Amino acid sequence: MRKFGLLSKALPKLQTKNVPVEHTSFMNELALERKPSILRELMKNHATASKNVVFIGEGLPHPETIPFSEVSFTLKDGTKKVFTGSELVTAINYLPTQGNPKFVQKLRELMDRFHAPLRWEDRDVIATAGSQDGLSKVIEMSLQKGDAIVVADPVYSGLVSNVRPYKAQLISAQYRKNGLDTVEMKDKLTAIWSSRSKDVKIPKILYINPVANNPSGHVISDEQKREIYEIACEFNLLVLEDDPYYFLGFQDELPKSFLSMDTENRVVRFDSFSKIFGGGLRAGWMTGPKEIVRIVEMHMQVSVLHASSLTQAIVLQILEGQGWEGFLDYTKSVKEFYRKRRDQMVALADKYLTGLAEWDVPEGGMFLWVKVKGVSDVLAMVMERGLKKDVMLIPGHAFMSDPTKPCPYIRLSYSLVPMEDVEKAMQRLAELIKEEQAIESQK
Amino acid sequence: MSQSVDYDRFINDLSARRKVSPIRELTKLFTTAPPGTIFLAGGIPNGSTFPFSRMTVELKDGATFKLEGKKIENALQYQPTPGYPPLVEQLQKFQTQVHGLDSTFWQKNSLLVSTGSQDALCKALEMSLSEGDPILVQEPIYPGTSAIIRPLNANMVPIGQDEHGIVPSALRSALSNYGSPEKVSSMKKDVPKLLYLNSTGANPTGATIPAERKKEIYDIACEFNLVILEDDPYYFLHFEEIDPVSFLSMDRDSRVLRFDSFSKILSSGLRVGFVTGPKELVSRIELHTQASTMHTSALSQAIVSSLLDEWGSEKLLQHFKMIQQFYKGKRDCMLASANKHLKGLAEWSVPRAGMFLWIKVPGIADTKKLITEGGIEHGVILVPGKDFLAYDDAQSQYFRASYTVASPEDIDKGFARLANLIKAEIA
Repeated sequence: MRKFGLLSKALPKLQTKNVPVEHTSFMNELALERKPSILRELMKNHATASKNVVFIGEGLPHPETIPFSEVSFTLKDGTKKVFTGSELVTAINYLPTQGNPKFVQKLRELMDRFHAPLRWEDRDVIATAGSQDGLSKVIEMSLQKGDAIVVADPVYSGLVSNVRPYKAQLISAQYRKNGLDTVEMKDKLTAIWSSRSKDVKIPKILYINPVANNPSGHVISDEQKREIYEIACEFNLLVLEDDPYYFLGFQDELPKSFLSMDTENRVVRFDSFSKIFGGGLRAGWMTGPKEIVRIVEMHMQVSVLHASSLTQAIVLQILEGQGWEGFLDYTKSVKEFYRKRRDQMVALADKYLTGLAEWDVPEGGMFLWVKVKGVSDVLAMVMERGLKKDVMLIPGHAFMSDPTKPCPYIRLSYSLVPMEDVEKAMQRLAELIKEEQAIESQK
Repeated sequence: MSQSVDYDRFINDLSARRKVSPIRELTKLFTTAPPGTIFLAGGIPNGSTFPFSRMTVELKDGATFKLEGKKIENALQYQPTPGYPPLVEQLQKFQTQVHGLDSTFWQKNSLLVSTGSQDALCKALEMSLSEGDPILVQEPIYPGTSAIIRPLNANMVPIGQDEHGIVPSALRSALSNYGSPEKVSSMKKDVPKLLYLNSTGANPTGATIPAERKKEIYDIACEFNLVILEDDPYYFLHFEEIDPVSFLSMDRDSRVLRFDSFSKILSSGLRVGFVTGPKELVSRIELHTQASTMHTSALSQAIVSSLLDEWGSEKLLQHFKMIQQFYKGKRDCMLASANKHLKGLAEWSVPRAGMFLWIKVPGIADTKKLITEGGIEHGVILVPGKDFLAYDDAQSQYFRASYTVASPEDIDKGFARLANLIKAEIA
């Protein structure tokens, strides 16, 4: 672990060294005391044991008691898959916690395809019940009450839900016109490390949602990612790369991930099939340092046990059927769908909200992040007066590191609602803002 | 006769700080908003981009059902955290029927569908335990549960079992070490507040707590102000004429959190379980779930829901009866092999429920040492009793064998080898 003495402005910029990180330094006591679940480990042993050994210890249900004989799915492109016999058993029965072994291997191949170069000697993958469960378990692995964590503002409300119970201090860098304010991030971290105060906690984690940040829609450039990675190395931060919209960035090229530039093995990456195959499946996975994957595995062993077997079997089948080129084409079609809607949304915003609000054009994902002009706090506007005008929006407070501060932002989703209705909503929003500006100017 | 429980006593500081997601709140508001309300507050993807057009499920009894159109789109979409709404309704009706719940039950209590019952149990323990807290647990105990408790630095207070489950006098005696009922009931720290047990076919002993004893235990829980964690995944895996009486069915105070599972009766891989209990406690589990898994697989829930619809209560009960017959046969097969090979070397009670035979080997001090050193060599693996104890320094003379999956030949072979292993050690 890097040791820092007194930092000063004269500190030379550190090169990214290939020094492996000591991962236990990111783990709290609870995580360090976790032990493998004996019965789940027994299941692993059984899988690799000699056929001559009789296992009569495991309490598994007998396949004959399962009422299903066949489960099949048909895709919109006509491909069909039927699970029967032993394939059905794999799709319907208990799995090792890490996941269906063939599915886990597929995920490693996916990571190699999109995020190479990767060293699997000190990294592994685990299938999770949605990517957020992986994120939640890494937070629970690491945080102690009062800890600090570095985030970009505005920040995904799901992250806030996970860290707030720990009374975590959020150290934020703002998104600006040309991306994340890395100078602000570095300055704040330098100040923290230089501080002598006991009240100032040194953060161990950097949380980032780099492609189509929820809620602001920003995409961090590859170059800026390198800057941020260097900062993480310099200040010894574990980087939590939360990337559910990875395939929904509107650029032609797929972004380079933090994982792909992770020479020091300090990135834990959370991927998801939710936005491309369906959030209901709870199909996510985590890639990261072996020690960290192991802690999450042990926590999963005594909670969810494993992600749904059927979900894993289905996604595996789809990926095998499509191949990587087919998969990429498929994700492009989903991206096009949202890009078109983004264009329509932005056109409506231009038409109705010009002069009343400001926004950056979303570079990916499904949200428009709007700053209302002339209104310092939109809470009452959205939660009371907006409801009366039959329009429901999200006030930005949910995404700010300090939700108690006045906030002029609102998040609008362009994913679902038909565009005729979006137009109506924009009209109502324009009226709402004008009325609110009038109220505010009278104060 | 019922008292009102102060649920704050059972919620630790971290859990108390969990807050509702504003997006979830708005989503709930939307369901009662006037028609014409336009909802741009959602965060969900557009279902028309999902690649599925249909799922078909065929059952062994010939019935089939499909998920298509809106139903498949729904099954692929994010759900409310408590569960896929049709399934939540079905399960509430199911609980009401099975446990004879009265009409006021659902005013004070609620139900949440979880990613297997163990996820709800894990979240309940993480909700309630603080460092140093004592917790009453049946011993021997399912190691999955002790693996949750240990890293939380809570202290397990083991309560011994006989062939009918935990012994009420042992429970009372353990509690009395902390003070009088009045004293213990009112304290938040340094006293046990939770009682963890399996009601039916306990893992690993196979014990089922009879109704009368349950009433005794429940009364003690009322006296000392405990919450009972009724972990009951083998509820329908019994070998009796009628279903057992649950703690939930006698819960006049609303102090029972009951964990049910479909893993042993429908499918383990779908990850569908459910927790039933006081709203104040289930809501804490809900908030933790909201921040982590969000909800269990909607597809799994839709399949279970459709199957329950397809079958109705009668076929469902028939299915349970089929399972009971099946496992009873497997149990008898294992007992026959045990009688053949282990008579004189080991002792056991006849399991009246569940999946396990709990075998005592009086001639051996430490079965873990025996199986670790000799198991592979003799070609048989069972789970040693030590793995089911609360404390690391204790030894056990027991083995847990499971009769559910191994073939009759393997069971017979396994016990013959176990007998050799034991004889070799005693010699």
